[in-house]
Amino acid sequence: MSHLLEVKNLGKTYRPRKAWPWSQKSVAIEPISFHIDAGETLAVMGETGSGKSTLAKIIAGVDNPSSGELWLNGQKLHNQHYQQRCNNIRMIFQDSENSLNTHLTLRKQLEEPLKFNTDLTAQERNEKVDIALRRVGMLTEHGEFYPHMLSSGQKQRVCIARAIILEPQIVVADEALVGLDPSVRAQIINLMLDLQQDMGISYILVTHSPQIVKHIADKILILYRGKMIVFDKTDIVLSDDQQPYVHQLLHDHLNKQIKFKSDKAKKIAD
Amino acid sequence: MQLLDIRNLTVEMKTPHGIVRVLDKVNLQLGKGEIHSLVGESGSGKSLLAKAIVGFANPNWEVTADRLWWNGQDLLAMNTKQRRAVTGRDMAMIFQDPYSYLDPNSTIEQQIVEAIPEGDVRGTFMRRRVDRKTRVKRLLHRVGIRDHESVIDSYPFELSQGVAQKVSIAIAIAHRPRLLIADEPTTAMEPSTKLQIHRLLARLAASQEMSVLLISQDLTSILPETKQLTLLYCGQLMETGPAEEVINHPAHPYTDSMLRMSLQTQQELPHKARLPTLPGAIPTLRHMPIGCRLGPRCPYAQKQCVKAPLATQKQQRVFHCHFPLLELES
Repeated sequence: MSHLLEVKNLGKTYRPRKAWPWSQKSVAIEPISFHIDAGETLAVMGETGSGKSTLAKIIAGVDNPSSGELWLNGQKLHNQHYQQRCNNIRMIFQDSENSLNTHLTLRKQLEEPLKFNTDLTAQERNEKVDIALRRVGMLTEHGEFYPHMLSSGQKQRVCIARAIILEPQIVVADEALVGLDPSVRAQIINLMLDLQQDMGISYILVTHSPQIVKHIADKILILYRGKMIVFDKTDIVLSDDQQPYVHQLLHDHLNKQIKFKSDKAKKIAD
Repeated sequence: MQLLDIRNLTVEMKTPHGIVRVLDKVNLQLGKGEIHSLVGESGSGKSLLAKAIVGFANPNWEVTADRLWWNGQDLLAMNTKQRRAVTGRDMAMIFQDPYSYLDPNSTIEQQIVEAIPEGDVRGTFMRRRVDRKTRVKRLLHRVGIRDHESVIDSYPFELSQGVAQKVSIAIAIAHRPRLLIADEPTTAMEPSTKLQIHRLLARLAASQEMSVLLISQDLTSILPETKQLTLLYCGQLMETGPAEEVINHPAHPYTDSMLRMSLQTQQELPHKARLPTLPGAIPTLRHMPIGCRLGPRCPYAQKQCVKAPLATQKQQRVFHCHFPLLELES
């Protein structure tokens, strides 16, 4: 068992509302198989409605697959076994504004996954929260804050802290970088890269930004109407331009670069 | 003559913690048929500026300006009725999320018909009806929806995001405005849909003699046809000038770092390398720094920056910085 996560013939169909024997099931994802290794980033790309969010949800355990299996480190992941799933795979959502509970302090929110999934004492949980907050570049005092007191970038950091607090092996990020301000987005990208280096996390990144994919992804998976049409290493996908759909999705946007020559400008200090 | 001429526009907001200046002496000039991009991060007051232009009244705000002229008329001197007449005739605005402001209860046709001015259709009852229908079709064709039959009778939720945004543009241009304000029309859209909307806006500006004020979050996602570019940060004007020059030779440290932060300009950056960013976060309304508001985050900031810098003009470009990156010939 060499791969961290192996997805075997994973498929998802939705039953129609009126389930007559002759009515057709709508297919969200046709059976697909792929794998990721530790410390790798997999980018899932596709148009709206291509099933990329469904795939992310199934991997994170939010949704159940209709067919197929997930294997993590040679161990089968069971659909309803949330503790096993949470300890290994966590998810970050698109809208950090709405994914935090406005009634709880950050410390309580970050404590919750620990309460449900570990047997730590209150003291140990507190220490863990402090470590997680510091790791995403925030202060331990922020633990007593409520979400409305934070900026959007800090909220996104808390979401990442909540995802990594159980020290998972895989983090699924569903459009986590969309709608952030440019400076915040660059900070979050740096943070995600730092965490990957320090903790060896693998990311499954659902995105439609070709630039981000090119920069941080090791492998690319492209879905088209539920079918997997490409699954390969980033540089191979980027150098090969045989498929028109890949071309439309990636190359067209990457080639359109902005001329930028600021020779006189000094380099920005870190 | 400029179509829209704004000098030293200041908007002050009354909050429980005192008066906050959310827009601080902003200048903006917009010519006929021009595309002007207004770029700023969240909280920079770019949407507020658009609201001040269309006269969105809020009793908590106080709008003052040395000059707020539209086509030679002083907008601030008008009463509400006159101002509404001018705004309604000449301006239109589109927003970020098309689903949230299209009426979910009526069909696309009904919504577009509503936007067609009464004076445009004449004749008998039946004649007017037919006329309206053809106008709706023509508008949909103009915004690049070829398959008008399927769109015309559908409700907003049945449309894709790109088509819904196109419909909202059709509604906006139904009364042939002279200024279209697009407030982040393509944020959170797929790249290909984004491209379509951008092309559409550029084409409309070119063919209809309509000026476009495009508000955007990201410096690299502005239209290539943009003529003028204005950067705002926390309500202060950072830099303004011809777009190509500003992007190729940024004068203000903020412009420079905005360009460096984007992956689009950092093509030669090695895989998984860390991106250059501005440290810290955007300050909240209550904790605005004095002087140049970029000060605490600026890599070049020095003691002088606690005083707000005056405007420096160099040919067509204006920037507010004590330590510009551009060498000034004295």
